Amino acid sequence: MVTENGKNNYRWLGLCALLLVLIVWEIAAVIIVANPFILPSPPDVFLAFIGLIEKGRLLLDFEVSMEHFIIGIGAALVVGIPIGIAMGWSRKFDAFLDPVVELLRPIPPLAWIPFAIIWFGLTASSAGFVIFIGAVFPIVINTYSGFRSVPKIYVEAGRMLGCTKNLSLIRHVAFPAALPSIASGIRIATGVGWMCLVAAELFGVSNNGLGMALWFYYDLHQMDSVVVYMLLLGFIGLVIDMGFRHYMNRHFLRWQVKEVA
Amino acid sequence: MKFPKIGAAALLALALVLVIVAAGCTQQSGTAGSPGTAAPVKDIRIGYQPSTHQMAEITAMNKGWYAQDLAQYGVTNVTDTVFPTGAPEMQAMLANQIDVAYVGAAPVLSAISTGLDAKIVAGVNTQGSDLVIRNGLTYSGPQSLKGLTIATFPAGTIQDTVLRNWLSKNNLTPGTDVTIKGMSSAGDAATALTAGKVDAVFLPTPNPSVIVNQGAGKIVVHSGEMYPNHTCCVLVVSGKLIREHPEIVKQIIQTNNKAVAWNEANLNEAAAIYANKTGAKLTDVQASLQEWDGNWASDPNIIVQPVLDYAAFQYQNGYIKKNLTEADLFDLTLYQK
Repeated sequence: MVTENGKNNYRWLGLCALLLVLIVWEIAAVIIVANPFILPSPPDVFLAFIGLIEKGRLLLDFEVSMEHFIIGIGAALVVGIPIGIAMGWSRKFDAFLDPVVELLRPIPPLAWIPFAIIWFGLTASSAGFVIFIGAVFPIVINTYSGFRSVPKIYVEAGRMLGCTKNLSLIRHVAFPAALPSIASGIRIATGVGWMCLVAAELFGVSNNGLGMALWFYYDLHQMDSVVVYMLLLGFIGLVIDMGFRHYMNRHFLRWQVKEVA
Repeated sequence: MKFPKIGAAALLALALVLVIVAAGCTQQSGTAGSPGTAAPVKDIRIGYQPSTHQMAEITAMNKGWYAQDLAQYGVTNVTDTVFPTGAPEMQAMLANQIDVAYVGAAPVLSAISTGLDAKIVAGVNTQGSDLVIRNGLTYSGPQSLKGLTIATFPAGTIQDTVLRNWLSKNNLTPGTDVTIKGMSSAGDAATALTAGKVDAVFLPTPNPSVIVNQGAGKIVVHSGEMYPNHTCCVLVVSGKLIREHPEIVKQIIQTNNKAVAWNEANLNEAAAIYANKTGAKLTDVQASLQEWDGNWASDPNIIVQPVLDYAAFQYQNGYIKKNLTEADLFDLTLYQK
């Protein structure tokens, strides 16, 4: 298929893949497995979805999860970007913080649950903290890498043109140059943070939330509803990622868009 | 034209996925054979939870009684797996990963309502959970819990069911008058209480005694006061094993009875075995066994009505989609004193 601007549009291939997955899923669920506990079929899941809408809890689950997610990602941005900048710009800061970051980074977010309970209680902040732990390190690392990769000639040119202080060099030269890397880090962080949502809502922080509801229906062995929440998590995660990419490309990375492909 | 290549690739992918799915598919239980013609069983897999409610399982495994007693039926290997709560344990049974489960009666209901091929063949214990409130709070009856937050196990567990039922009977609406937090493990709930993030916990023994011994709270209500003689844990066996090897199931019940009798006669030694296996402090376990209001009772005939009450409660609360009958839940024919 060729579009008006003469480029091939292969989006129909993606639709074919989705359709193929649905067909394979239906065949596997109904003919091969034939046990809705082991593999609920697409109609089972659709009916469960309708049932959850009728109960009126899906919107509430979404709102609560978004609150947790925004707290976690917001904190990760506020903490991660300055730390990444400091480490990337200053050798002393890097030497000072690198051991701490490298020690904390491999600890899984789930392992922080006891301290999330102790420090924040069973609150939205507690869930946000678990998400923060998952999201902050990709932001730190990518911001650091972005600053480390700024060509020295840019910095020297900046100095020649009057940016003599560190703050102005960071603001006008290094930060814009590192922005693609920072944006990648935020993309990774939003993905990881979204995945952490299910763990963050595992320990009773609220009576609603997409992750909490997933665990709730798992406890009741209602696997069709579990799949509904799994798919919702996937879909909302996709929308968040697409929205972020669109926003970044439109407002901050226009100079970079379509440079390669 | 590219489509034929894509179509061929799609068909190939479809065939590959079908083969993989078919290869990984587990056979449903309860589909084959009858006593005498069924294939011999060599492995028995038991699930349990780290609670003094289920000490019989721990004692019987520790002393090798299950392996010894079942050897005469051709069983060569008996293994056990620990689960934090009943829900994942029942999930494992639904996935045909365990044959026998020591588990709270409530999770069995949601599992059977969603297609678990299994029956309750014996009781394990009655009562044995406690409401613990944090230091500084005063308990003067159920109404004094108004406005408090209580942590317990998640929806569908025995503790969640008994607690909500009791609050409702005392004119307190769970979620409105009292906030209930469904925690994924007893450790999370105890941590929340110790850190002062919840006001109370409702947990099975020995957790209440552990909290009391740590100076973090006090036991104010035994679950027997909430629901006298309520069923707690039950012995559940897969339908396939019951149909094909009832003699093995009878022996499992007998071995459980032997372990219960031994535990009652040798309480301190039983506590030591439990502490050794679970990593609990021996002093906590001993205190718990002195303090608890539970009873290791294996006769399933006395727990039928309480379990049916739970089923009705869960159905009313939307936890299960159909009301379960005695025939759905029990096989009372295999129990012998």
